[in-house]
Amino acid sequence: MAPREIGIRTKSEIPAIELRGVSKNFRLYRDANYSLKEKVINFNKRGYDLFWALQGIDLTINKGETVSIIGPNGSGKSTLLRIMTRIMSPTEGMITTHGTIAAMLELGAGFHPDLTGRENIYLNASILGFKRRVIAGIIDEIIAFSELGPFVENQVKNYSTGMYVRLGFSVAINLNPDILLVDEVLAVGDEAYQTKCLNRIARMQQEGKTIVLVTHSAGIAESISDRVLWLEKGVQKMLGDPHEVIDSYHEAMRQHPEGSEFGTRDIVINRVELLDGEGKEAEEFETGDSLTLRMHYEAVKPVDDPVFGFGFYDPMGFMVYGTNTRLRGIDIARVDGKNCMDFRVPSLALLDGRYYVSVAAHSRDGTINYHWLDKRFYFEVHSPGREEGYFAMECDISMTPE
Amino acid sequence: MKEKLRRLFEYRELLFNLTRKEVKVKYKNSFLGFIWSLVTPLMMLVVYYVAFGIIFKMQRADMQYYAFYLMAGILPWNFMAIGLMMGVGSLVGNANLMKKVYFPRETLTLSYIGSAAFHFLLQEMVLIIFMLIFQVPMTWWIFAFPLVLLLQMTFVAGLSLLLATLNVFYRDVMHFTEILLMAWFWMTPIIYPISFISDNLPAWAAKLYMLNPMTHIILLWQRIVYNSPVNGPAAYYWSPWGLLGTVVFSIALLVIGYNTFHRLEGRFVEFI
Repeated sequence: MAPREIGIRTKSEIPAIELRGVSKNFRLYRDANYSLKEKVINFNKRGYDLFWALQGIDLTINKGETVSIIGPNGSGKSTLLRIMTRIMSPTEGMITTHGTIAAMLELGAGFHPDLTGRENIYLNASILGFKRRVIAGIIDEIIAFSELGPFVENQVKNYSTGMYVRLGFSVAINLNPDILLVDEVLAVGDEAYQTKCLNRIARMQQEGKTIVLVTHSAGIAESISDRVLWLEKGVQKMLGDPHEVIDSYHEAMRQHPEGSEFGTRDIVINRVELLDGEGKEAEEFETGDSLTLRMHYEAVKPVDDPVFGFGFYDPMGFMVYGTNTRLRGIDIARVDGKNCMDFRVPSLALLDGRYYVSVAAHSRDGTINYHWLDKRFYFEVHSPGREEGYFAMECDISMTPE
Repeated sequence: MKEKLRRLFEYRELLFNLTRKEVKVKYKNSFLGFIWSLVTPLMMLVVYYVAFGIIFKMQRADMQYYAFYLMAGILPWNFMAIGLMMGVGSLVGNANLMKKVYFPRETLTLSYIGSAAFHFLLQEMVLIIFMLIFQVPMTWWIFAFPLVLLLQMTFVAGLSLLLATLNVFYRDVMHFTEILLMAWFWMTPIIYPISFISDNLPAWAAKLYMLNPMTHIILLWQRIVYNSPVNGPAAYYWSPWGLLGTVVFSIALLVIGYNTFHRLEGRFVEFI
């Protein structure tokens, strides 16, 4: 996404959205105790854990301001946006908004498949809280912007995804609300339509509208916002100048990549320990130390001929070293039940830096992944500083006169 | 509370639009369209008429125009039953919408009642036309129509809001309502005249029977469109206290239902 010109806007000190100490918790039910019978049986047990999706958010967004919210998955971005739209009420704290709001949490939410595009425009707009009179005045504009043409008289169920999304966006944006809340929806649509939408947003900015945008794209956040809010685990981590926040955000993302796991879970790697020479768990090593990677795994049912392996990665995701039982010529005929496996590196030949560890169990031919924990662990290595790069090698230096 | 009501008023157009959508969508893609909302009660009429009118000879029990008597009860009953069933499922059924857009949630529940009321009015109109054709005697009571409609809507809205709220947290409510409606139908004078109850049940049971608010509402409908004192004295019963009780109960139910709805509204999205 190319950075774009932001129109000259009037700055104001009049708040459009005010959040005071907003927190939100969810009850995570261990078992969905939805029926009365289960409720009665489990009467005394508190069947849920509290999960704080947001904690103590203080934020004032002024009229005419554009604020982007960034953060990794599960950081509470969407919850915050939902609280702003009043879809959810906060557990603690309070929120006040001034002016009409249109939210685009999902384009075309509330479209009814059996109604035509035109009928849906009226329905959708009235769900967003706009009056028929208002809609009648701008319906032509909405239809034009959606690029639907004659299809607007067709039932929405016959639309392609693109048409559906364009219609949804067109309704929300042309209603010209005082406050526009957008969640990730710019990611849809082709490049040309995206540009068109961003231009329309730029026009709204010039008209002094307040815009709050949740996005994964740091590029969009940086190019169109006045301020960026960075959320991390429901807590406000940083708020301020887009460049500064996004730089710090990128830096942090590089240090804590979002580890993932996947696999059929026929074999489950329950725990991974990194042990030093004395067999104690450690996070920091010196070059030349011994390192043991201990993998605790469990095969729920017997698995024939599995392969276990690990890899070390640098913070950019480049693999520094990796091996597995197959490459080492070790055949494991069958695993069953709980076991543990040690990979012992007698002398760690790595240099200064942080290394991320992936571990995996897969079939011999590599077509079936039983369990793969991708860069979920890390350790630090300190070296005396006699060399650079990744690897410690013997290097004799001699000087002879020619 | 006042603010909530003001917001509902601001969104009155949405309520209207949702109701219209419901009405439009119901018979969309069907060949007969609106005719269906007349066919369904007509079929019920045929079944009950054959069973009770012809086989059990209900007409002998002082019931002229038994078919019209049936319709006078079945139509408002269907209005209540359909409105309630749809209303109870309204929140859970629109989970996707509720998670994405903010709007006063009660409009969902109320829109189903609105659409049921629309079909009811249509059916009543046809019924009245038939009464004119068959020259069934009518009275000035016909002008009480809007008041009785308002009373029934108050009752249905209150009950639907309450049960729809509970249904979000316990899906059992939906199934319970289904069974309740089935039993409730037979505990209301729709098929048989009210005199059957006073004649055949002990006094205490008849008293208990009269606690059913739907009994009083249906009796009113029979008074209006069937003219029960003249056409079927057996179906005639007049209880000012019972009526007053029903009015007070319906209003109280609406207040309680609406309050419960708003008290728990903030947590709906987490549970649906």
